[in-house]
Formats: sequence, structure tokens, C-alpha cells
Amino acid sequence: MSALRLLAGRDLRSGSESLAEHVGRLGPLPHPGSDLIETLVSSGLSGRGGADFPVGLKWRAAASGPRGSAVVVANGAEGEPHSRKDRLLMTCRPHLVLDGAFLAARAIRAKEVILYIGEHHQSSRVAMERALAERTGYERGQVRLFAAPARYVAGDSSAAVHAVASGVALPTTRKAASAMVQNVETLAHVALIARSGVPSGTLLATVAGAVAHPGVIEIESNRTLGEALSIAGGVTEPARAILLGGYFGSWLELQRALDLRLDPLELKAAGLSLGCGVIGVLPQSRCAVCETAGIMRYLAGESSAQCGPCYFGLRALADSCSRIAYEGANPLDIGRLQRWAKDVAGRGGCRHPDGAVRFLRSALETFAPEFAHHPAHSARRTA
Amino acid sequence: MVILGLLSTMRVEGAGWPRFLVTGLHRNLALMTLVFLTLHIVTAVVDPFTHLGWAAAVIPFSSYYRTLWLGLGVIAFELLVAIVVTSLVRGLLGQRTWRAIHWLTYAAWPIGVIHGVGTGTDVWSLWLIVLTVLCVSAVVITAAFRLFAGPFDPLSPARSAFRGSLDRDEAP
Repeated sequence: MSALRLLAGRDLRSGSESLAEHVGRLGPLPHPGSDLIETLVSSGLSGRGGADFPVGLKWRAAASGPRGSAVVVANGAEGEPHSRKDRLLMTCRPHLVLDGAFLAARAIRAKEVILYIGEHHQSSRVAMERALAERTGYERGQVRLFAAPARYVAGDSSAAVHAVASGVALPTTRKAASAMVQNVETLAHVALIARSGVPSGTLLATVAGAVAHPGVIEIESNRTLGEALSIAGGVTEPARAILLGGYFGSWLELQRALDLRLDPLELKAAGLSLGCGVIGVLPQSRCAVCETAGIMRYLAGESSAQCGPCYFGLRALADSCSRIAYEGANPLDIGRLQRWAKDVAGRGGCRHPDGAVRFLRSALETFAPEFAHHPAHSARRTA
Repeated sequence: MVILGLLSTMRVEGAGWPRFLVTGLHRNLALMTLVFLTLHIVTAVVDPFTHLGWAAAVIPFSSYYRTLWLGLGVIAFELLVAIVVTSLVRGLLGQRTWRAIHWLTYAAWPIGVIHGVGTGTDVWSLWLIVLTVLCVSAVVITAAFRLFAGPFDPLSPARSAFRGSLDRDEAP
């Protein structure tokens, strides 16, 4: 069978796809049995929440647990500041997400499905509730909605598990075996694979910054970053760099970025990741150092304060960035940034400091000339 | 090492010396201490003059030679091993258990010092007396400052603020 697309069908601006439209477009939810996990393994589908973890392997591990012991968490927290794709998907194609979640529950014999939706994502929550009302009573009985706090770290899979289990969305490095967390877009892809047997070959991305039509696009993964920018209307002014993968991602020189293909495996081979799917275009008119300083300040403020390397380390790194941004370049702070980044990496109580350090390192590398020659700014110019 | 551990719980920092670096130095010194301590024990056991044997290095108070003083040394060493090992696997233990075990440092260090004073071969040489007095007074002074310094856990205000922000809007 041919590949299907996530966002085909009804115009995205005209609201949610109803159950009748959904079934009309894709057919009823199949019952693929235990073959589904092997199909997922061979499909090569990887998680779309940011970590790129192979979906089939995750499900196979979860299915080996005792019956009814696990829960499925559909992660729609979407705490990444520029990301919109999970919200759009839940709002416009809620039945795809539900299909995927029910397939997951069946495959790993989970008794409960939890929809973990960002507390401010009103229209997504309403759409999911409405879609749920169209499903069978048995399906409705399986599902519980849980509001994800509007904090950056609350979208981490370990934080989602802790939120659901104990009410506190605290990220950790410990893996909870009792819950399988899967991003909502990933679940929607599973719903398509269960029907066609092959991966859709597309992915959702949020294009932000200096493009004509910022927003969510669905694009084939064998196409390039340059093509993604074209779909978003193209750049509106000369671009300096591209931030691939949101605030835990990497800055890329424009020329290097344009020909990169979006395929997760190819990006991984290049030491990159599409992460949560945010593609940010930084124009030459914005100051890269001030932008970096602003984002580091934000990430330091989003620390859950569990450990010193994160709370004190990210604050020290943000202070150092701010000093360069406000008072101008100085070799002392550049040296500190490089040294301290090494001291913070890998020492946190969760993955938050590692993500922030990866972002900082790519900024120091990509914007090395700007950091070395940055003039003092009287006022901060950041997003 | 003990001093740095105490300092890391206080508000000691500067622009060029952020607080998390104190923790890093503390960890590295602790690991180094363990290496030198292992060296000390191995050389003491291997030394044909003492005939201590491996059992005496592991089982407290089992040595025929200076039973009490050596036993204290063994206890201090084993406490330190427990402290280091639990720190290495802190992620698996949880904060509370780790902290309880880490408090054993306050026992391990004085026991180690007593062991040194009790059975050291150069105890009455001037340099060792000066060194011991300096170390002990440094720890005592820092500990005294620690007792009167601010919050028990320097992260706790920030942690409460984070938790507070999570509870702002409860379930839909």
C-alpha cells in the first residue's frame, strides 16, 4: 500500500477532523496484533519528541512486561518555546493521536492511556476531548487527561512519568519502567503505519524566525532543510544561521544547513538531530551573541534546581554570556564558557543541563567571530 | 576535601569561581584521596616488616598489631569507600539515601585522624604536628561557620519555587 500523510484531508484552518472524516480518509483502526511491533521495528520509525529513540525497540521492551502493568503516556506537553507541531496535530488530527495511543496500549497490554497535554494548549485539549467523545465507551474508559505544567522540563519523558505517577513533573535520569512515553506525532505515525504497513516518510517541523510563513509543515524526510524553508515561504532577509532542533539543538552555518537532508538517520550520522522539529532562522540583522545569551538565560531559569551543576552551572554560563552581550567581548569569559561547559556536561540530575550545554557549544563554534569581537550593547536585543 | 564539601553547601562563589566548580573540585579530591588511601593500605600490607596480611586491612580490629588504632583506620577507609561508591551511583539511590550515607563523612574523617595520631610513625615530628593541627582547626572552623550559615540546602528555595510553578494550574 502507498504511504499516507499526517495532515492530508480537511483544511487545517477549519478545525478538527471528525471521526467520520478520519475513518473516511484512512479507514477504520486495524487490529494488527503482535505483528505491529515488528512492523514498527522494520519501519525504522524513531521518536519525534526530540530523542529520536527507535519506536519499535521501545515498544518491544515495554511489551515484555507483565500484562496490564504499564500505562501509555501520549506526550503533548510541547514546552519548547517555538514548537507548534504537537499542538497543531492534536487540534487538527486528534483521532490519529488517539489511534496511535490505543494501538500502543494494545501492543504493550497497557490498561491506561494518559494524554499529557500542555496546560496552556486549550484548543488541543478541547479537540482531544471532543474526539474522545466520538469514540466507544470502552476506549473512553481507558483514557485520562493530564495537564502538563508550562515549564520547559515538564515535557521530558521522565518528568511526564513523574507527573502522572506522583503529580510532580520533575525530570530525572532514572527510567521508570511502568510507563511508556511517546510523543503525539510519533503515535500519529504509528496509526498510519498500522494501516499501510510502511512509514509515511514525512515528518512535522515548525519553521520559525525570518521566513515568510512561519508555522508547521509536513515534509518528506528525504528532502533538505533548504526545501523546508521554501515550503515556509523562503527567508525574508539574509540569514546568518539556522537553529536545528530547538533550544536543545545546534546552530548551523546557513550554507552547510541548506543541503542537509531531514532524515533522522542521516542527521544523526552528521552529529545532528531534528530534535523536537523546530527549524529557527536567525537573520543577519539580529545579534547572534545576544540571542544566545537570551536563550541561555531562559534555559538557566527553567532548571528544576535538583542539582548544583544545573542550577548554579547554567546560571554561571548565562551570566558569562550576558557579560559578553552587555559589556562586550572579553577572552576571560570566552575561556570560562568553554571550560565550564565541559564541567557541567554529563553531571546533571537530569538531561536539562546537557541539552543547554550542547546548544551553547554549537553557538560558541558557529558564532566564534561574533563572540570574539562582540561590541558592548546598551540594551539587550533578543527574541 | 571535607572543607570543600562544607564550603559547597555555603554561599561561597565569585564571578570567576561559580559554585558548581567547588562541587567538581570536591569530587576530584575525594577520588584522589581514595587512590592515595588505597596506595597507603596496599603498601602497608605488602611491607614485609609489618606482616599485617589482607584480612587485617579489611576486617576491623582483627590485627594483632595495634589492634585498636589499625581497626579505626580500617573503619574510616570502609566508610569512605561506602561514601564514594554511593556517590558514584547517586542516580540509582535517590537524593535522601545518598545524603544520609554522605553524612558518614563526619564520622569517617575524625576516625581517620585518630587512626593517624594513634599509630602514625612520625606523630611527634614537628611537621606532622603542625599539619594535623592545621587540618583539624581548618575543618573545625569551617564546620562552625557552616553551622551558622544560611539554609541547610542551598538549592531548596529554588527547588520550592520550581515546584510552586508546577502547581500553579492543576489538572484540566
